[in-house]
Amino acid sequence: MPASFPPGHRKIFSDLNASVWRVLVTEGQFVAAGETLLLLESMKMEIPVTAPEAGTIVAILVAEEAVVNEGDPLVVMLKSTG
Amino acid sequence: MNWQPELDELRRREALAQELGGAEKVARQHQAGRLDVRARILHLLDPGSFHEIGAIAGKARYDDNNDLLSFIPSNCVMGRGSVDGRAVVVVGDDFTVRGGSADATIREKPLLAERMASEFRLPILRIIEGSGGGGSVKTIETTGRANLPGGVGSALGFHYATANLAVVPVVALGLGSVAGLGAARLAASHYAVMTKSSAVFVAGPPVVARLGQDLGKQELGGWQIQTRSGAVDDAVETEEEAFARARRFLSYLPSSVFELPPVIACADDPARRDEALLEAIPRDPRKVYKMRPIIETLFDRGSFFETGMFFGRPIITGLARLHGRPVALMAGDPYHYGGSWTAEACQKIIRLVDLAEVFHLPVVHLVDCPGFMIGLEAEKAATIRHGVRAMAAINQCSVPWCSVILRNAFGVAGAIHQPAGRLSLRYAWLSARWGSLPLEGGIEAAYRAELDAAPDPEARRREIETRLNKLRSPFRTAESFWVEEIIDPRDTRRLLCEFADLAGPLLTPGPTHFAIRP
Repeated sequence: MPASFPPGHRKIFSDLNASVWRVLVTEGQFVAAGETLLLLESMKMEIPVTAPEAGTIVAILVAEEAVVNEGDPLVVMLKSTG
Repeated sequence: MNWQPELDELRRREALAQELGGAEKVARQHQAGRLDVRARILHLLDPGSFHEIGAIAGKARYDDNNDLLSFIPSNCVMGRGSVDGRAVVVVGDDFTVRGGSADATIREKPLLAERMASEFRLPILRIIEGSGGGGSVKTIETTGRANLPGGVGSALGFHYATANLAVVPVVALGLGSVAGLGAARLAASHYAVMTKSSAVFVAGPPVVARLGQDLGKQELGGWQIQTRSGAVDDAVETEEEAFARARRFLSYLPSSVFELPPVIACADDPARRDEALLEAIPRDPRKVYKMRPIIETLFDRGSFFETGMFFGRPIITGLARLHGRPVALMAGDPYHYGGSWTAEACQKIIRLVDLAEVFHLPVVHLVDCPGFMIGLEAEKAATIRHGVRAMAAINQCSVPWCSVILRNAFGVAGAIHQPAGRLSLRYAWLSARWGSLPLEGGIEAAYRAELDAAPDPEARRREIETRLNKLRSPFRTAESFWVEEIIDPRDTRRLLCEFADLAGPLLTPGPTHFAIRP
């Protein structure tokens, strides 16, 4: 993980303790607002984590099968300026 | 000669009280983006409705002729007024006089507010800033003694802090830094709201620094801490929003337990069918769905008032209306642990169900619960203790109850989707599924010997799962009348409105057989 991210970046955090089931985006990819970035798994349910706004994926901070806690950062995004 | 000189004196003293802690202190309050206590009261209440009590109580200085030299009002401003035309008591801390601290309060003023709420059966609104009438250590020097908390003559405030909860709606607004007794007065309410720039704590950063914790106000007791902990129900951006939330909360409740919740005219068709409900629940049981849009469409349009959004998130709670009648609402949120009842979710359920019982609100439960939360963290959090307390709250409540099983109802938590000892209404959606425990994991437990003996245990497990899945169709359950009705989800609003209408005549004003705890 790089020590710093570009100015204006936004981290997407986990809302709950879960494991990472699927990562659906790659670094550098452009995503639309509401697009599913990854699926967490908790209590046998798939919980989508979606992009709050359109932008570019700067970094993915977790790998599939990783265990994440509530409040852990999952993805770093840079809001689309275009 | 008439009494004009005395009237002039009265008006002069009242005018001095309007100045609060003085122009400089008031300006500082405004510069920090906070209204002063008088402005807050005026904004909170119906325009022109505030009738102040004890405005001229305070600390005066006199000259050698015993004429008034200067006057500092008590930092408790209180009186009566109305909210949406209904009488209330309001009591507010004035931070511009000694930071809201006790030595400038005059103990009897906030006490009178609580007593008036109790004896005249009026909702009470507490506007809290500072230590809420709690003392500072300086009080020792100004009074020449240390006070025993709850000592002779000072326990009555604590009495009302709990007793009023069983009699009248208690709404508390934390606006600014709220500490100590102020934090207690905030939390000891049916609904506590804070602004996002406020901070709430038992003791503030300077005291906590003695523990070696170097934290700012927000880090210690900001809204993200206090709404997630459940100490405060809601956080809003502005004081105006806090007033609006407080007023709206009251709109669902009677003025006291001796009345029934106010029914309003309903412009929304009670038989309205929303086609989207037929596909609201994904067929794949692993896929989640959003519960809040379902709530919005089932209840009277725009009537859903959510409380405690950031606490105990597997359960959504709030107040809403059906055919104009106020109800309490709880609903599972599959986005959070699949809707599993965590220890916190159970605490949230208790708070809602007790509120419903005290103020005669029928309860609607939109059920999606795969059971209590499991795992080591859940055990350490005493999930089962809080779980059986939630069970007790549900079983002990006597208000009419209606459950709609949208999807999962599993285990003990699934079993207490409605009170156990009396008749409630219950409907299951086509997507409903239930059992003592989910097949996933449940098969391993129940068919252990058979699986161990099988040449390919995984294939055998899938075989058993397929077999059981066929058998557990809700139609088989309805066939043996374990569930009363399976319904078209689009009929749900009509049935819920019918429930609210049936419940109306059953509601019985009066105190509950237990006294609610905050």
